[in-house]
Amino acid sequence: MLQMLLQGFGTVFTAPINILMIVIGTTVGIVFGALPGLTTVAGLSMFLPITYAMASGTGLSMLTAIYIGGMSGGLISAILLNIPGTPSSIATCFDGSPMARRGEAGKALGLAVFASVLGTIISLVLMIVLSPTLANLTIKFGPWEYFSVTVFALTLIASLTGKSIIKGLLSALFGMMFATVGLSPIDSAKRYTFGSLQLTSGFNLLAVLVGLYAISEVLNTAGTEQHDAEIRDYKMRGLGFGLSDLKGQGFNIIRSALIGLGIGILPGIGGSTSNIIAYSIAKTSSKYPEKFGTGIPDGIIASETSNNASIGGAMIPLLTLGIPGDGATAILLGGFMLHGMQPGPLLFQTNGATVYQIFASMILATLVMALVMYIGMRGIVKILKVPANILLPLIVILCSIGAFALNNRVFDMWGLILFGVIGLAMSKAGVPAPPFILGFILESEFETNLRRGLEYANGNFFEVFNRPISATFLVLAVVSLAATLYKQYRPRKVVTEEV
Amino acid sequence: MNKATKKELGIGVFFALLSIFYIVASRSISTFTPFGNRGLDSRSIPAMIGWLSMALSVTYIVTTLISARRQLASQQNSLESTAEVCDPDNVICIEDPSGAKRVKVLEVLPTKLLLSLIFLFFYFFFYQRAGFILSSVGYLIAQSFLLTEKDKRKRWALFLILFSIVSTLIIYFVFTKYFTLFLPKGILG
Repeated sequence: MLQMLLQGFGTVFTAPINILMIVIGTTVGIVFGALPGLTTVAGLSMFLPITYAMASGTGLSMLTAIYIGGMSGGLISAILLNIPGTPSSIATCFDGSPMARRGEAGKALGLAVFASVLGTIISLVLMIVLSPTLANLTIKFGPWEYFSVTVFALTLIASLTGKSIIKGLLSALFGMMFATVGLSPIDSAKRYTFGSLQLTSGFNLLAVLVGLYAISEVLNTAGTEQHDAEIRDYKMRGLGFGLSDLKGQGFNIIRSALIGLGIGILPGIGGSTSNIIAYSIAKTSSKYPEKFGTGIPDGIIASETSNNASIGGAMIPLLTLGIPGDGATAILLGGFMLHGMQPGPLLFQTNGATVYQIFASMILATLVMALVMYIGMRGIVKILKVPANILLPLIVILCSIGAFALNNRVFDMWGLILFGVIGLAMSKAGVPAPPFILGFILESEFETNLRRGLEYANGNFFEVFNRPISATFLVLAVVSLAATLYKQYRPRKVVTEEV
Repeated sequence: MNKATKKELGIGVFFALLSIFYIVASRSISTFTPFGNRGLDSRSIPAMIGWLSMALSVTYIVTTLISARRQLASQQNSLESTAEVCDPDNVICIEDPSGAKRVKVLEVLPTKLLLSLIFLFFYFFFYQRAGFILSSVGYLIAQSFLLTEKDKRKRWALFLILFSIVSTLIIYFVFTKYFTLFLPKGILG
């Protein structure tokens, strides 16, 4: 493993284009993460087509660099504007902004960047150690195991995202409906094509992702009034903080990193949830919980360590099972497929060198992220002032290039509008988008493996319970559904007060 | 029935109608089982998705109605008056003969959103016909003007036009020359 990783570093450092793309990717990610209203996923969607012409390792390294940069960039606007650039930095506002108001913005930024680096590195190390081991385990999976893992992922994401489990499940089924358009797996029967030749090839994953995440975001921003926020001034010398600020933070860092990693592994919930959970645990277990929210290092460290640690966590199911952990890893899955690679247990055998190159690039991107943040902070803050009337139309142009370049046909561009409108409508209706995406991605896997499994078992569905792994995942799926249903519909205690 | 309940019911009805359409359309899917049906065919999964979606939509409608009824009952039982918080810019108040104040929310047409969609539609329509450069310049000018505040448009006009032309040309040359992607030339080709 170590030898492969060293080879990965060798590949990265021998070609200057690799380093250049990591630097560009990280910077782009930071900017997208820092700009409120734009997310890492939008940045990834926009830059995915640019990687077409690159070697697979270089292109995927750039995409993962955007992911790392984007997850960290949100801290800048959280601290200087009191607006989280991404949902992953919500909890950073709680202590980052009061610290900035006190005139310690430089210290808050320094601590947040430091925590982000630590969180990312810890999770990447665990990802590098765990992924090949898990891949070796999942290589023994048959159709029933894949079927039950898919069911588990779909039910879990539907249960954990949004307020209503029914809405979550409906969203997943809605995504699955779109995935059935085109030719069916196994026997290639035409489905829902309504005589259209274009629909025979179905909806392209990238058009769906870009439409749902980037175009809907642009439309949403276009439809809402924009107000200029005041950016706080800051001074940062060296790292921005002293060693005394880190005193007693060791356990907070490790605990938050593990929370981020664990939550990142679960499908659908990543940094946006982990930062709040890590913050609240840090607060409740602190000796001075009353100080949280007044601008103390503990809160910033907990939030930023955990959101960045979810990067490594979300990559684990993607690499070992081909199941994306969040929206960003769904785009990365698209990136892998674009470069002719199928994430899953065989990835380490078929494209081992590229995978380790990506691992090495991710470590490098983390260090680049720290450098860009410490050295180029002034420039990034200036970009925060770029008005939306210039930025948004440019994003649309770049997204449309990506959609057109998929198959050189305008049909995929119409898909952008369709899924952009669907994404916007879903966000207005409070229907979560992640289950839709996962449903769209996993439908083929679900159908192929269920049909194969039934063929092997002569139509006997109960065969799924004869296999321990598949039975376990199905039980877990039922338990997660039942637990969420209980939480939502349990009888609440009515408190009556006599007047 | 309040606005939020109507919205939630609308979501349930939309998914129910979609499920009906999806189930009906699944009947026209051809199946191929030369060795006998030992499991599922190409129609089975869509039918399963459709029926499951239908069941969930109906459940959602029913649970929404039940919670709306409970809410209504608790409101009637409550002696205190309730108020809905809404955007003060879009609200007018009407004095009720009974003395209570009724609030009516004025619906604001999301003009910028609709126009953005129309611009996007025309952009994609002319993408291949007029070519990338012309359609993109047109789209960039139109969309950026739309997003600029009305009173600032005159001041920004020249900059926005120049920015649209220059950025489109840069994007075109970077993508076609360096990333070797094909972009339609249209009438300029």
